[in-house]
Amino acid sequence: MIAKRLQPMASHARRSYVELMFQVMGRALQAISEVDETTRTETRELPEGFLFEMQVMPNGPKLIVEHTGDGRLHFHGDQAPRPVDLSIQFKHIAHAFLVLSFQEKTSVAFANDRMLVDGDISYAVRMTRVLNRLESFILPKLVAERAVKEYPANLKLPEKLINAARIYLKVASNFVETVRA
Amino acid sequence: MTNNYYEFFCPVKVIAGKSALEHLPYELTGLAAKRPMIVTDKGVRAAGLLDPVISACEESGLEIVSVYDDVPPDSSTSVVRDIAGVYRQEKCDSIIAVGGGSAIDTGKAVNILVSEGGDDIARYSGAGILKHPLKPFFVIPTTAGTGSEVTSVAVITDESKGVKLPFTSSFLLPNAAIIDPRMTLTLPPHITAATAMDALTHATEAFTCMAKNPLSDAYATAAIRKVSQSLVAVMDNPKDTDGRLELAQASTMAGIAFSNSMVGLVHSLGHATGAICHLPHGLCMSLYLPYVLEFNLETIREPLGELLLYLEGPEVYSATPAARRAEASISAIRKLRDALYKRCELPRTLKETGKVLESQLESIARLALDDGSIMFNPREVSLDDAMAVLRRAWA
Ligand SMILES: [Fe+2]
Repeated sequence: MIAKRLQPMASHARRSYVELMFQVMGRALQAISEVDETTRTETRELPEGFLFEMQVMPNGPKLIVEHTGDGRLHFHGDQAPRPVDLSIQFKHIAHAFLVLSFQEKTSVAFANDRMLVDGDISYAVRMTRVLNRLESFILPKLVAERAVKEYPANLKLPEKLINAARIYLKVASNFVETVRA
Repeated sequence: MTNNYYEFFCPVKVIAGKSALEHLPYELTGLAAKRPMIVTDKGVRAAGLLDPVISACEESGLEIVSVYDDVPPDSSTSVVRDIAGVYRQEKCDSIIAVGGGSAIDTGKAVNILVSEGGDDIARYSGAGILKHPLKPFFVIPTTAGTGSEVTSVAVITDESKGVKLPFTSSFLLPNAAIIDPRMTLTLPPHITAATAMDALTHATEAFTCMAKNPLSDAYATAAIRKVSQSLVAVMDNPKDTDGRLELAQASTMAGIAFSNSMVGLVHSLGHATGAICHLPHGLCMSLYLPYVLEFNLETIREPLGELLLYLEGPEVYSATPAARRAEASISAIRKLRDALYKRCELPRTLKETGKVLESQLESIARLALDDGSIMFNPREVSLDDAMAVLRRAWA
């Protein structure tokens, strides 16, 4: 009975968390594409004006970034200026929550059929590597090891940027506590 | 592992063993198919492999209405359109694909066009586009390796755009796969070896990559045991019907395993090498398998060590200390490659192929990084990593 009453609250919190994490990730993607050369060697291969979306099916929260050239990514919030080129779609908000609360690696989520790719698979492979790189930046090492396949040996980002991102993350992890409880 | 989750799906009826082909008319009739079309290639026809299929049907009063035997090794959108045209003209109502990966993929693609309508197969490219079951479709593999008879994928080249179009849908799966040892009895030694190494790679990668699960594990290990026990015996005695059947079943089982748990870096490198240097897929698998396992070693030590039981049998497994089993599995695969080299000169290094230039390694590495299968490799792969594996595989 109690579970029934609590459910809507939990799922509301989960949705807010996913929305917030998309915001965090969108900004962080833009930030690391400006300062991290390793990220840029991946993103440079994307066509200019390339729009990448992550979305929760069917009409859930969204994140949209654009490749504006030379490997730089621009965060568009949840509004795409035109039809997107690549969409990674979570089948359910619960799956997005697993990935965005770093309980399941992005690549494992693909392996587990949690999400679908709409668009060129080679771009999806590239964006997954960028997301892995991002997660290892903004997360404390311990959590990052759980979230990405391998913790990169060559992390060199301005401390300030990492800290800024981690502040967002702190807010975010409060949501995790709420929802997990 | 409270977050562990997996999906497993394989609705293909498998009809295997002695006189399996003779079950085909019954299966066709069961789906009300009266006018089947055979899709195959010139090699299959020349090897006389169509004769038992056609006579099995005729003896049951079922006439094969049309035979298209011109599928090229790399099938294209125009071939698919042509075959669909013949199918419609002859008022066929079902498809039997007889052959290797290309004939089977072509059969799947033709089935899309004749079921959904139109002439432009590119329209149906991608995942989840098909929403309805297609026409009755049967597959008779004539190689033991690709596992295409149990995968829900087809790849067709669009020659006008120079791209490979992928098609993914569970509706592409055949109603039944017919595994008859007669169909692989005449396979030449180097193709027998290369395709069996493809099957071994499917099983090994399925068992060691990220999407492994208990059901696919069972298929993978059984497939590895069959290849290890039968491949060299078949190489020494090509007419060994039982051995041929073992390899054919191993291929199907490995296909079921990897279509549910994916493959990894061996395939990423293999696809790239195939595209750039035009080497056969099975050969590429054999070239890269040990080097990729070495690269992944520390991430996959446990499952790879377990495979020793299936590669070398219980005696060797129990005599090998647990800490050395993963390395011993790699040695077993190298030993198998040496045995194949001795028997049919199946190359073990890129240099031995004589078809790859050292200067091409970097473009192979770059292309491999874009391959979808790299996502499921247990270790993250950078350009430097891919280059390091390629250099080890060079000579
Ligand atoms: Fe393969």
